[in-house]
Amino acid sequence: MPPAITPTSPPPRSSLPRLLLLLPTATYRTTAFVEAARRLGVDLTVASEQSSTFEGARPDALLTLDFAHPDHAAEQTRTFAARRQVNAVLGVDDDTVVIGAAIGAALGLGGNAVASVEAARDKHRQRELLARHGVPVPRFQLHRLDADLEGIARAQAYPCVVKPLRLSASRGVIRANDGRELTAAIRRLAAILSQPDTAGCATDVFLVEEYVPGAEVALEGLLVGGALHVLALFDKPDPLDGPFFEETIYATPSRLPETAQRVLADTAARAAQAIGLTRGPLHAELRWNDRGAWLIELAARPIGGRCSAALRFQDGATLEELVLREALGMALARPVRETAAAGVMMIPVPGAGILREVRGVAEARAVPGVEDVIITAHRGQELVPWPEGSRYPGFIFARGAEPEDVVAALHTAHRRLTFVRDRQTD
Amino acid sequence: MASPEVRITAEPVDEQRCKFLVDRPVYQGVRRFTSRAEAQGSPLAEALYAIPGVSEIIVSASLVTVVKDTAEPWQVVGKSVGAAIRQALAGGTAAVVDKGPATGAARQTDDELYERVNDLFEQQVNPMVARHGGRVELIDVQDAIVLLRMGGGCQGCGMASVTLRQGIEGVLTEHIPEVKGIVDITDHASGDNPYFASAKK
Repeated sequence: MPPAITPTSPPPRSSLPRLLLLLPTATYRTTAFVEAARRLGVDLTVASEQSSTFEGARPDALLTLDFAHPDHAAEQTRTFAARRQVNAVLGVDDDTVVIGAAIGAALGLGGNAVASVEAARDKHRQRELLARHGVPVPRFQLHRLDADLEGIARAQAYPCVVKPLRLSASRGVIRANDGRELTAAIRRLAAILSQPDTAGCATDVFLVEEYVPGAEVALEGLLVGGALHVLALFDKPDPLDGPFFEETIYATPSRLPETAQRVLADTAARAAQAIGLTRGPLHAELRWNDRGAWLIELAARPIGGRCSAALRFQDGATLEELVLREALGMALARPVRETAAAGVMMIPVPGAGILREVRGVAEARAVPGVEDVIITAHRGQELVPWPEGSRYPGFIFARGAEPEDVVAALHTAHRRLTFVRDRQTD
Repeated sequence: MASPEVRITAEPVDEQRCKFLVDRPVYQGVRRFTSRAEAQGSPLAEALYAIPGVSEIIVSASLVTVVKDTAEPWQVVGKSVGAAIRQALAGGTAAVVDKGPATGAARQTDDELYERVNDLFEQQVNPMVARHGGRVELIDVQDAIVLLRMGGGCQGCGMASVTLRQGIEGVLTEHIPEVKGIVDITDHASGDNPYFASAKK
């Protein structure tokens, strides 16, 4: 039997611990976390940036917090905690983990330092810390959007990648192979950063970094007492060469050699240490080439979208249960993923337009190995392709004996789907 | 002429519960099964109970909600459920038969609970969800389990499970402690005007 992990946080102060779960109203992860909390039998308070219509009737169960200002959110929570004990706080995305850290500090709950999770959220600060600690990262430079673009283009080595500092899901990330492409990419990013929904996301600066060729992987981990426990290493078998970087398939276990996997895991662990992350979920994107492992992105949160459903652990535990157990200091057996190969496809946006209908879902589900097809876009939703967009229209899940079977099943299922749109452009 | 292939869409709620939306009516009304014995005479329920781990079934119009008590993932169990639904619908007889009239205290309790829950929904729950353009419909109370359907802004809303668990269930438990559980039979995948739409990675 695998040894148990010793949690770092203190045991709950009552027999029924209270968890403050920070759920943005736009997250995909609501049901997975709420149901995981129910299964663990915790007293749950859900906090969001917009009020629930039940908040007045259920003041212990629902809370509205100022997600735009972590210090204010911490003060609001301190008021809440004066009448209701809070044992743990958990954010589920890049922004709410910062708020969670601020609340944890204000209430003395422990957890990652605010500076660490802020660094994880800020791509420039993250790279500075990683480079300073010797973690391999692409060469990078920070620029202002109002700088001399032609000058930037002349000084830049190619190929390179333009990145915003704070947007998620590779939104606004664009590869450029020469100066003309770079200036066009920066102007395109500037237009994205002028959109109202990017307010507060460091919209006056951007990164240009070296394009690192090689196989890309995603590492899902859990930090317990400063040690990284790798939950899964996903290969990304579809090429991610640009010019945009919309994710498609994640498949695990990885087909990279064992030695490469060890180096990648070690690189992620060193990255977490460099940033100062000691506990909770960790999601890292890395590349592997003949020069070794490269840390491309790191986040102090679990895998995004609905993708966590691709992971299944001993005793049927979900990723969300493991994350909640760690946050609450509950007993946590060393997580071991099932033996089967598993994968998920984040369904690519089929083109711009208003979604009217999705055909072929039953046919896609009938593909051997495919276990589910979830369409998350709703009728009437505007579909926006990358790099301006960041919303997948759905997810396909598959399992099989080998990762290659899983990938083939995902591709076959995807080919059976038809997205009917108005204003079709492709 | 043979009817076209039955199309079924699965929508897992959690590890225990999954909704299966069928492209045609399965049963006019709502019926909940909690045991193999109850399933006798209803081909669909009999077939579903033959699947290991199935512990509860709720059939409402074209929606079949299945509850299981095993760790086997829905991605696997769902295929057997789909086959059972198709088999039952191809049988030529009613897939689900009406429940015999409940007798004595059980019927009285469910009837009484229905009235109380309905009053609570009308007086408290619906005025609250209406502020986000939503509505909640009480479908039935069976064995003290409340079956409901969410509509309007609640259908397909990214925060529907928060409304259900942290809001509606809490209010119900507080005001009517005799209620043993709550089952959402909403087809959330068909919601086309959710109040909160999921957007972040």
